[in-house]
Amino acid sequence: MTRGGAVGDISGVGGVGGGRPAGHVVLRAGQGSFLVHRRALVVGAVLTVLLAGAGVTSLCVGESFVAPSEVVRVLLGMPSPDQLVVGTLRLPRLVTGLLVGAAFGMSGALIQTMARNPLASPDVIGVTHGAGAATVAAMTFGLTSYTVLPYVSVAGGLLAALLVYLFAWRGGLTASRFVLIGIGISVALGSLTRLLVTKGDYLVAQQAKTWLTGSLNGRGYDQAAPLATVLLLMVPFLLWAARAQRGAAFDDDTATALGIRLGRVRVGLSVLGVVLASVATGAAGPVDFVALLAPQIARRLTRTPHVPLVCSALTGALIVVVADLLARRLLSPLELPVGVFTALVGAPYLMWLIVRTRSSRSGGNA
Amino acid sequence: MTGNPSSAPRPSRLTARDLTLAYEDRTVVEELDLDIPDGKVTVIVGPNACGKSTLLRALGRLLKPRRGAVLLDGTELARLPTKRIAQVIGLLPQTPVPPEGITVGDLIARGRQPHQKWWQQWSEADEASVSAAMERTGTAELAERPVDELSGGQRQRVWIAMALAQDTDLLLLDEPTTYLDIAHQVEVLDLVRQLNRERGRTVVAVLHDLNQAARYADHLIAMRAGRIVAQGAPVDVVKAELVEEVFGLASVVVPDPVTGGPMVVPGPPRSTDGTSESEGVLGDADGGGATVPAAREAAR
Repeated sequence: MTRGGAVGDISGVGGVGGGRPAGHVVLRAGQGSFLVHRRALVVGAVLTVLLAGAGVTSLCVGESFVAPSEVVRVLLGMPSPDQLVVGTLRLPRLVTGLLVGAAFGMSGALIQTMARNPLASPDVIGVTHGAGAATVAAMTFGLTSYTVLPYVSVAGGLLAALLVYLFAWRGGLTASRFVLIGIGISVALGSLTRLLVTKGDYLVAQQAKTWLTGSLNGRGYDQAAPLATVLLLMVPFLLWAARAQRGAAFDDDTATALGIRLGRVRVGLSVLGVVLASVATGAAGPVDFVALLAPQIARRLTRTPHVPLVCSALTGALIVVVADLLARRLLSPLELPVGVFTALVGAPYLMWLIVRTRSSRSGGNA
Repeated sequence: MTGNPSSAPRPSRLTARDLTLAYEDRTVVEELDLDIPDGKVTVIVGPNACGKSTLLRALGRLLKPRRGAVLLDGTELARLPTKRIAQVIGLLPQTPVPPEGITVGDLIARGRQPHQKWWQQWSEADEASVSAAMERTGTAELAERPVDELSGGQRQRVWIAMALAQDTDLLLLDEPTTYLDIAHQVEVLDLVRQLNRERGRTVVAVLHDLNQAARYADHLIAMRAGRIVAQGAPVDVVKAELVEEVFGLASVVVPDPVTGGPMVVPGPPRSTDGTSESEGVLGDADGGGATVPAAREAAR
């Protein structure tokens, strides 16, 4: 109706006669108009604030405590005596954790949408296990550099996913076939990994185990930079995906009736999910459960009919940052792998959300 | 969008030529030609597994033809982008599945999908079409309810509202009255006819109930074993002979006490009662209903 301005009016609650779906706002900018779920917008804002809080906390806390004011000074590029501790030691690890969490969160959201299954995640479709097998194999051959290993693991993840596509493809991609083939390949690669760990010598086995849990120890800009680059390059595709996800919730016939090419959407969403999971795994190993938990938590918070992409990214990032804080500090000076805590942080919360919604409203997943 | 017929008036925007439809190796419809009359309500009837829903699916490009083609304004559907088709043909599948937890208003608004781009997700036209569709179907007051909580009748109205919001000249409905009680069946069919009368929309529906088909159709298509046995105005098509041929059911066709149109009453005609008009017209093959001999199909 009203043109101009960055933000449009808020849809009237109980607006009988208004065609705009309840609970949505329209954001207008020039020729563009975006229909945004209002609750998702609020949840996104809250998650961002929480994430900022968790980030600053994790920069403050460590072997030595740094005051938040100093942390902010470092972040703003102002001279500070704590530049070394905060800017050089803690910040790169935090940035890696943020990006890894966001990438896993989005990957899970896309793959769950594509598979129409809240249990689907990169673990299920072979990516994680492919990356794991490749990395552990490289380790047994004496490759231990965290600068090189990410590329090996990305290659492994993509290769495994390619294998899944090859077997699952039958003139198109059906969700159940994709997931079943994915599980098969995952199981096979998982056994291969265990075989390598068992046969390898003690040191390699120890290192492999840590990597397989997912760890941010010793990770920094060397791992974050490639991940950030890939994420940046993917932005246009992710914008497409955020919209395409809405259509993917329909059955095939209804989607076609609405002019949605669900076959293409499925391939697109899954490829994006595979790439995200691969690069994230490359940076920090297969950090457990983030891809599985983050989208479901985000969806229950936003109450959208689809898994919200941006909120999944924020939730994933928040889980990893908080989990890494625990991993670093809980048994300090011993540093545990972050993957030990991601499930511990996310799972109880998700269960609480599920139990709470079940009691307040009937109707669950089909 | 394309409200009035452009340049040359065409008899049929949606046609099928030499259409053969098959699932795997089972042929369901064979070499079928069909013209859907513009601005009319066309109803397809026939016994179970006669291929009527399959035909409708093909008309709505949900099923690719094995041979032949469905043409929209003279162009094969297969050659048109599916989004373009969605701007002209609205389609309600037999059992549509709503996204989990979606609200009525949100679902109806999704009908605007084919008119939107990713950077243009909500326009005044969207707003107007959705409002109109809600008003038409009496779903405005349900707007904030989750679709999962609705009754069957409400749900069907919501789906129809979504198809209406799509604002298409053609509307295909696959058994829109299944699972509804008789009052809701009539409500839905009245709505469909009203849409046709007011906006001149072309409607094609598959219906199970022959009497409802006869009552609501301008153009009736009777199918059996993948072929069109007869088509035309209900009064010309619905004859006891045809009911026998298509459904294998003995019946008497009497005037509908409400509309005066043909009404099928199952059961063999009583010999004592000579008033049954169906007896009288049994023999003469009306020109309107081009009767294809399909008796050998029946013999199998």
